[in-house]
Amino acid sequence: MIALAWSAVKVGYALGFGFGLAGLLGWVERKQSAVLQDRIGANRADIFGWRIIGLFHPLADGIKLMTKEDFVPRGVLRPFHGLAPALSLGCGLLCLAALPFGGEFQMAGRTWSLQPWPSPVGLVYVLAFLGLGVHGVVMAGYASGSNYGLLGGLRGAAQMVAYEVCMAAVLAGPMFLYGTLDLQEAVRAQGRLIGGVLPAWGVFTQPLAFLLFLVAGTAASKRIPFDLPEGESEIVGYHVEYAGMKFGMFMISDFVENIVVCGLGAALFLGGWQVPFVSLAGPLGAVLMLAAFLAKTCALLFLLMQVRWTLPRLRFDQLLDLGWKSLLPLALANFMLTVWAVWLLRRLSWL
Amino acid sequence: MAKTIRFTLDGRTVEAREGETVLEAAQRCGLRIPHYCWHQALGNPGNCRMCNVEVEGAAKPMVSCRLQPKEGMVVRSAAPAARRWQRAALEFHLVDHPLDCPVCDQSGECGLQDYYMDIGRYPSSLRDDKWHMGKRMPIGPHIMLDQERCIMCTRCTRFVSTVSQSHELGIFGRGHSQVVDVVPGRSLDNPYSGCLADICPVGALTDRDFRFQVRVWYLDEAESVCPGCSRLCSIWAHTSTRRPWHNQGRRLARLKPRLDPEVNGPWICDEGRYGFAGFDSDRLGRVLRLGRDAAELPWDAACDEIAVAWHRVVRHKKPEGLAVVASGALSNQDWAGFRSLFVDGLRLSRFLFAPEPDQVGAEDGLLRRRDKVPNLAGGRAFGFGAEIQSLTWQTLAEQIEQGEVWGLYVVDRDPLKVWGEKGRALLERLDLLVYQGPRKGLTGELARFRLPATAWLEEDGEFTDFQGRVRGYRRALEPLGQARPDWEIFAAIEAAFHGGGGL
Amino acid sequence: MAVTVRPVTRPARGLWEQVYLIEVLRGLGVTFRHFFVNLWRHVLALLGRRAAAGAVTIQYPEQPAVLGRRARTRHRLLRRPDGAPRCTACLLCETICPAKCIRITAEESPDPMVEKRARSFDIDVGMCVFCGHCVEACPVDAIHMDSSQVELASYTRAGMIWNMESLMREKR
Repeated sequence: MIALAWSAVKVGYALGFGFGLAGLLGWVERKQSAVLQDRIGANRADIFGWRIIGLFHPLADGIKLMTKEDFVPRGVLRPFHGLAPALSLGCGLLCLAALPFGGEFQMAGRTWSLQPWPSPVGLVYVLAFLGLGVHGVVMAGYASGSNYGLLGGLRGAAQMVAYEVCMAAVLAGPMFLYGTLDLQEAVRAQGRLIGGVLPAWGVFTQPLAFLLFLVAGTAASKRIPFDLPEGESEIVGYHVEYAGMKFGMFMISDFVENIVVCGLGAALFLGGWQVPFVSLAGPLGAVLMLAAFLAKTCALLFLLMQVRWTLPRLRFDQLLDLGWKSLLPLALANFMLTVWAVWLLRRLSWL
Repeated sequence: MAKTIRFTLDGRTVEAREGETVLEAAQRCGLRIPHYCWHQALGNPGNCRMCNVEVEGAAKPMVSCRLQPKEGMVVRSAAPAARRWQRAALEFHLVDHPLDCPVCDQSGECGLQDYYMDIGRYPSSLRDDKWHMGKRMPIGPHIMLDQERCIMCTRCTRFVSTVSQSHELGIFGRGHSQVVDVVPGRSLDNPYSGCLADICPVGALTDRDFRFQVRVWYLDEAESVCPGCSRLCSIWAHTSTRRPWHNQGRRLARLKPRLDPEVNGPWICDEGRYGFAGFDSDRLGRVLRLGRDAAELPWDAACDEIAVAWHRVVRHKKPEGLAVVASGALSNQDWAGFRSLFVDGLRLSRFLFAPEPDQVGAEDGLLRRRDKVPNLAGGRAFGFGAEIQSLTWQTLAEQIEQGEVWGLYVVDRDPLKVWGEKGRALLERLDLLVYQGPRKGLTGELARFRLPATAWLEEDGEFTDFQGRVRGYRRALEPLGQARPDWEIFAAIEAAFHGGGGL
Repeated sequence: MAVTVRPVTRPARGLWEQVYLIEVLRGLGVTFRHFFVNLWRHVLALLGRRAAAGAVTIQYPEQPAVLGRRARTRHRLLRRPDGAPRCTACLLCETICPAKCIRITAEESPDPMVEKRARSFDIDVGMCVFCGHCVEACPVDAIHMDSSQVELASYTRAGMIWNMESLMREKR
């Protein structure tokens, strides 16, 4: 009974993590771009005259999208047209279940795990559901009955497949290093210190992999400069025939995928919930763990958002070239290098 | 075969007929030499000096409207010297011409504007004020005079002395103070006065009814013939449909004569020119069944109902009891459909197509004809007026009164107007009254079925004039609502009688 | 017409640029600098310290919009000294108008010194493209686009149509 309640709490936290950050990202996207472009940004939505630097705008957006007419054009494939956004968002949310928001702590004579679903194959699970997200995009494009939507969906499929292959290949290196597919174990593996000063985080032990992961992750979550599937302003995207909250679900699922990718990055390259030089135990340690993981995820989100407002969009051939011809070979090379290095270091008994 | 003279004009070899001037030969070949006073029907006084040309071997400029070409003569109308002379003449004309093009109705079709843009474009060298003279003087029922704008080409005075021979206009004064004016005590009210607005090359004489209605560059034009009388003058129908708020919302803006040497030359009479004023008023656009169960009908239903109503009556009455009143404004196509339906199809014998009493008017030796309906000649070609004789209004009224006629099919005619108040009682006796026409009139209110027909500007068609010429006219406007050409309506009703489809 | 061909050499991309990464980092440097400098200024302003503004935004309804000296704004019909409209209803503005937003009807003027005047003069500012051709075309300088009024929104289409009286007023 207690285990069930605790699971419910963890699921609630994961959902809150996803939706809370997604809502916040809508605000960050506006405000961060405004600040770096010498503007003020959206600041008009208010409650009783309170504007608190535009924080009510995501709320206003939500209300607007909810109350907007859910217009379904003639000629769409009815069930699939409605299913696509749910599939897209659902896949993103399911990924959150395997993220290690925190480790384990002792309280009241029991050991409590902060991961919603501790799984020995957590990484595979996350990658699998990120990959399933493609179906939402393709389904939306196909069910729209619109050539623009279809082309957007096809672009999305080609791109997401290419970059999820890359992502898996990139992550092979660090996972080999950590010797596990369990995300919790991978975080623990980064708890050591190298030479007593440098935390053994993935970003230090696998710098190339980290970089490639950022690129592949951005592309897999369809963010600028890889936002060709939607191309909000110039090239019409797969959700062109969606209105109201269905469109909103696509938007949120984009944000959620982004959060998943950043959470994965934080877990695998930034030491997850680890705080260097501090051993975490008890309820206080649990809060610190959660805070550390949240902070690291947010830092990555901030970086990706900054990239979004810095780089122009790639052309589609450039995009696929980058994925198949640069990213994938580099990822495989990184894997080989890691294997070889680990073998060498073991041979030298340094590991 | 008249002798021809070959000479060179602007590098082109031109053949002039004997007696022709250089200007006339050039006009015929499509070469444009600037001119104001010359007019094909009004002679060549040579007082405007605009048609100056350079002739090889001649020391001085020659006015081409008075120059008879000689064999092998070399004439240049666009040479720099010729252009300089023409420009000088133009500048002289414009010395006292006010620059009120923005408010002048002629602008857009003005000789001064055209030539200034073609050959003028000089900067003004005038330091003194312009002379001011009479403006907006209504000198007749149709014509407005502006003395300032006049350039003394004398086309108008020549028109009133040679064509209308009414002599209302004259040139008064000398030099700068020379003006065109009406002769004291007279008014410019001859039956062809509208032509003065056509021939005036500037804005000195303009139409009063067209004044400020619409700028000419908004007009569309279509070839047409005037249906005002059996002369059938060739005209241009100028329509204003691009900007519906102009011309007080009326679609037909004005009628202009279309040069036709065989029929009307460059003229038309005022009755025809200004007789279209009500073209857009009182028009029909819906097919209606009137009476107890009034309703708007589609065409095929209306035709079927007319056929049914006819069959219901002829079960107990003689078919010949249906009389047909037709207008002489039917086109040849309409007459054909008319004959096919009523004579060959229903085998009727009572027809009335004589003009209404007020459709007979003045006649003169120039253009106007007595019968003010266009196409009685066309009807005669189909037998109406030949083997089929017209009833008179009087006999038709008597026959209705005696019950011999139980039904009336009226095509674009108004028996009620002719018969007056006793006509209402007559028409109410009828078992069936069908009215078909472009306008409602008085009879249209009493009809059981009211069918909208197109007016002449809304259809392509042909009239036959009193001399037997077939004269075509083009569609200038869109039909209103459900309106159809008369012949289409006749054909649809005939098809309904045969049980076939309608329109 | 002779065609002038001017060869333009594209700047070649060296290895440095080909590796993108460095260029991306430089770009990120620019945006990060802007972000943090502006953020710092915003924070200073929030704390009540006078500092350079963090944004160039004009908060429009509260702060007045800045119009250029030659900005084309809502049309204005000018008057004669006696107060009558200058317009002679020549329809040149209606003719030149590419958006067909001007509708004029003309009539005879009662003033003996004036021949023609406008009976009605309507401009549908909802259709107007603010090109200024009407001002150029007017031969009597009767129409200007200098009312400095740019707030022309209306809840109805009919409300977008300005008639002669309202066009002669400085403000609606």
